[in-house]
Amino acid sequence: MKPLLLVTKLGVYGSLQDKGRFGYRAFGIPLSGPMDHRSFQAAQRILQHHHDQTSFEMFVGGFEFEALADGVYVLTGGHSTCLVNHVPIEMWKTFHLTRGDRLSIKGVHQGSIVYLTPLGGFRTNDELGSQSYLPLGNLGTCITKGSILYGQVSSSLKYNRGLYAPYRPRFDSSITVRLFKGPHFHLFAEESQRQFLQDPFQFIGGNRMGYYIKGPTLQLQEMKDILSEATQFGTIQVPQSGNPIILMADAQTVGGYPIIATVHEEDLHKVAQMRMFNTIHFVLEET
Amino acid sequence: MQPIIDFPHSMWISQHTIRFAFKEEISHSNFHAVQAFNRFLKQQLQHHLIESVASYHTVTAYIKQKIDIERLRTQWLEMQASTTIDKGTNRLLKIPVCYDEEFALDQKRVMDFTGLPFEDIKTLHMSKSYYVYLIGFLPGFPYLGELDAKLFVPRLQKPRASVSASSVGVGGGQTGIYPVDSPGGWNIIGKTPLDLFDAHGKEPFLFELGDEVQFYEITKEQFWEMKSKGV
Repeated sequence: MKPLLLVTKLGVYGSLQDKGRFGYRAFGIPLSGPMDHRSFQAAQRILQHHHDQTSFEMFVGGFEFEALADGVYVLTGGHSTCLVNHVPIEMWKTFHLTRGDRLSIKGVHQGSIVYLTPLGGFRTNDELGSQSYLPLGNLGTCITKGSILYGQVSSSLKYNRGLYAPYRPRFDSSITVRLFKGPHFHLFAEESQRQFLQDPFQFIGGNRMGYYIKGPTLQLQEMKDILSEATQFGTIQVPQSGNPIILMADAQTVGGYPIIATVHEEDLHKVAQMRMFNTIHFVLEET
Repeated sequence: MQPIIDFPHSMWISQHTIRFAFKEEISHSNFHAVQAFNRFLKQQLQHHLIESVASYHTVTAYIKQKIDIERLRTQWLEMQASTTIDKGTNRLLKIPVCYDEEFALDQKRVMDFTGLPFEDIKTLHMSKSYYVYLIGFLPGFPYLGELDAKLFVPRLQKPRASVSASSVGVGGGQTGIYPVDSPGGWNIIGKTPLDLFDAHGKEPFLFELGDEVQFYEITKEQFWEMKSKGV
C-alpha cells in the first residue's frame, strides 16, 4: 500500500466504497457499495479496471486533498467545479496529480455525489470481504480530515482516457423513476395508492441509509402492524407519518414499516443524485 | 410423517429479488417452514443465489438472474414427498446473563409493567428456550421468540441514546441482545459477557438464524471473570 492523498478538507460526507459487502445480509450487515452505480462503474471503465476497485464517494462539496505521490485519477458523478492547484479540470476524464498538488472539489451544479478513483483503486483492509465503510458496526476505514488515502503502486496510463460528453449522465432536477409494487402496496388506501403514482414528491434530505421525500401523506386503509421483513437499496417504506423513505445503499437489512414499492435497479442512480427539493415522480413497471 | 408445507406465495420485489411469503404470523410452525424453505432455496439455486434473508414469515432471495418459479414449486413438493427430507439441525446456545441491577437498567419499569418481583422476571426469562427468528436492525442483532406472555413490556417510548453492547432486553413478545453500542428502545434486564459481533473474529457473529438459545444466570463476579477471559 502506498500513501496517495492526504485529506485536508472534508465536505458533507465521504466514504470509501467498493462494489459492496455481499453475503452477510442474513446477519444484519447492510450491502453498502456505491450510491450511484453508474458513475462508479464509469470510473472503473475509464481506468480499465478488470474488477471493480475502491472509490472515494463524496457528498459534495468542500473536499480538498494534497497529493503525497504522483498518480492518475478520474472524477465521475455529479457535475462539480474541480480544481488542481486552483486550475479547473474536467470530470469524466483521467488527470495526473504530482506530489504536492492540491485537488479540490467545490460546488456541485448537477447531482450531489462525486467519485474520486485512482488508477488501481484505493486500498484499505477488507472487513467481511469488502472495503466499503459502514458507520454502524464500524466496518472498513473511517475517513476524516487528516486521513491518508492509500492506493497500490501502479504504472500510469499511456493515454488520457475519458467518457465523451454526450455519454455522460445528466442529473435533472426533476426525475421519473420506475417502480415495482411492494408487498404492502394493497394495504394502502386507494386514494394514497393513486396519489403515490400520480403526484410529485420532493426530496427533503437524507444520507447513505435513506432518503426522505415529501408529497401527499400516504395512509393505510386501516392501522395495521406488519411483521419485519427484508429490505434493500430501493425499498420505499412508509412510516406512520405517511412520508415515504427510500432506503439507500447502507439500507438496514430488515424493516418493520409497510413497503409500498421498490425502485427499479437501473433508476437507483437517479434517486441517489437527487438534490434538496428536487422532484421525483413514480411510474409502475409492468411485471 | 411431517405435514406438507404448501409452497409459499411468491412475488418479484425487483429484477433480482424474489420474496416468498408464508402465513403472516409469528409462530413456531412458520419458523420451521421458513427455515426449511430457506435451506431448500440454498440447495436448489446454489450459485444463482447471491444470498437470502429470512424473517418471521418470508424468505427473500437475492439472485443473479431470473429463475423458474414453477419448477421450484414442483421441486418443493417432490422434496417434501420424499422421506429423506433434510430437517436441518439447530444449534443450542447457552448464554450467560448477569441480571444485576447495575446492568438491568429497566428493572423497575419491567417490574411495574408486569407486576412481578424481579426474581420471577429472571426465572421466567430463563424458563424456556428461544429461537433466533430474525437477525437485523444492527449487525448480528437476534430477535428471539417467543417470550412468556407475562413478560410482555412495550418498548420505551423514547429510545435510549445509547445502549451498551451485550445488553439483554425485552420488547413486546421478544427478547434480544444488543451486538454493538447503539441507540435502542428495548427494556434492558441484564447483560452477557459474550461478544455478539467481532468483524475480525474467526466467527464474526455469535448467533445464526434458527439457533436455539437458553439463558442462565451468572453473578457479577462471574460476569467480570468471563469478560476478562474473553470467553
